[in-house]
Amino acid sequence: MEVGFVGLGVMGLPMARHLQQAGHRLHLWARRPQSVAPFAGSDAVVHASPAALAAATDVTFTVVTASADVEQLALGVEGLIHGARPGWVHVDMSTIAPASARRIAAAFEACGAAMLDAPVSGGAQGAQDATLAIMVGGRADVLERLRPLLACLGRTIVHVGGSGAGQVAKACNQMIMVAAIEACAEAMHLANAHGVDLAAVRSALLGGSAASRVLEVMGERMVRRDFAAGIESRLHHKDFGILMDEAARLGAPLPIAAQVWQQLNALMAGGGGRDDTSALLRVLEAASRG
Amino acid sequence: MEVGFIGLGLMGRPMALNLMRAGHRVHVWSRRRESMQPLLDAGAGDCASAADVASRAEVVISIVADAPDVEEVALGPQGVADGARPGLVFIDMSTIAPAAAQSIAARLAERDIAMLDAPVSGGEVGAIGATLTIMVGGDAAAFERVKPLFDAMGRTVSLIGASGAGQVAKACNQILTGVGVAAVAEAMNFAHKSGVDAAKVREALLGGFAYSRILENHGQRMLERNFKPGFKAWMHQKDLRIVMEEAHRLGLALPSAAATAQMFNAMVGSGLGDDDSVAMLKLLERMSGSERGREGE
Repeated sequence: MEVGFVGLGVMGLPMARHLQQAGHRLHLWARRPQSVAPFAGSDAVVHASPAALAAATDVTFTVVTASADVEQLALGVEGLIHGARPGWVHVDMSTIAPASARRIAAAFEACGAAMLDAPVSGGAQGAQDATLAIMVGGRADVLERLRPLLACLGRTIVHVGGSGAGQVAKACNQMIMVAAIEACAEAMHLANAHGVDLAAVRSALLGGSAASRVLEVMGERMVRRDFAAGIESRLHHKDFGILMDEAARLGAPLPIAAQVWQQLNALMAGGGGRDDTSALLRVLEAASRG
Repeated sequence: MEVGFIGLGLMGRPMALNLMRAGHRVHVWSRRRESMQPLLDAGAGDCASAADVASRAEVVISIVADAPDVEEVALGPQGVADGARPGLVFIDMSTIAPAAAQSIAARLAERDIAMLDAPVSGGEVGAIGATLTIMVGGDAAAFERVKPLFDAMGRTVSLIGASGAGQVAKACNQILTGVGVAAVAEAMNFAHKSGVDAAKVREALLGGFAYSRILENHGQRMLERNFKPGFKAWMHQKDLRIVMEEAHRLGLALPSAAATAQMFNAMVGSGLGDDDSVAMLKLLERMSGSERGREGE
């Protein structure tokens, strides 16, 4: 297939490579030309605009940062929609607001094309190993047609519901995961306050009911005090801004998520935005110093 | 002065009437004609649009629901900017985000219109009695020019700082009143659940360090189970949403405000949005399985 890809960052780059290795021809567009350098010498085609990219492809993937970026890319001047046509599909794997995803999908539907919101969980490691969890919103028949492509990127591919449903699932994922990171940080902080060995506590807990992926991976980072990302906490902070705003709009109380959000705010204020989210431990430590 | 007034709701109507009582000529326009009627009956000028209001006034005041409404009134088609005479001062007394106020002020400045953000505290009672607290952000010279209008509507009028500063003060006010009403509701529910007379508790506490106007006024309404607005819970939810969005933008931890904002989300989500904020008590009673008026009555 002729496959477009925009957003060749930590996540996007290995994902694009997997698609290429599976025998698809890659079409690329990037705001900064150096982003496509890793594909020099391959048969990947670089285009001058998202519109040109769309016109040359059957399906185009995007993995970028914010709702505004995706909307600009999809619907802006020289956006994907100007090269879209009936049967063409935009798969957005960014984490954005469900309302944005629905808006973009409606615009593509109106011109006979389609859009899937397909955010992922699993981080850079999952992207490299092609073991991502992919949560999909949009038309089921479109997903079935593209399932072989998504299978190049992830292991768990779930159709959650209509447009925006993938983003809702991703918001739930972020709430559970970051709340677990905060719980893990608080446990480590308590152990530390008692002068108990953190590594020993973590190993003991991993054998019991509190065992979790977060305790395993982020707990390890906290024990080693290795806060180099990982996942930059500013991205989790961004996600919490979106999901808490949606919760207010819906009149849904999220008391724990609201507290976790405040800890993330404090981490941003302390200059920790580029650190891994396990640095939430440092927020607790800063609040405990006299 | 010739004063335009847009937004004749629960707050705006008595505020405009107070301006007329103080001897100012007031010109009104509203999307819903019926909300203009009480002012027209009192002798206010009848206008066809916000632009029409602006063309007849030295100062235009707006008090509407949210930032998009202020944008529409100020800069939309047939908005204030379209009809403004040179030197017009636009005063927005709505509660909106500081950043939104700054952005609207900047765009009006390009068209030679000075804008003050001047949100109020004191509720409908304060609006009727002209005892509002008015928190102002913007140019000091514009503030001095329109100060007599503020004095006709409020008792405590403060220029806090530059554009947006009034809204920052209002955000601080909403943190205190939001967290305050939740604290009073929790205390009232705690006393009642413990089998103690909540009225006596309130009375005792009013003499001590826990005294607050919220305990006095809102506490009394909780005892009377008077949940009529007042200040609707959905508006308080909206205001705290502004606060939390600003906190997110600034990287600022507001744990108590965050918890309170979730309580207001729950009120709106469970159908208490049109009640007064004191209905926080009902929410707490439901959460602890003891809502009165469901047990007996």
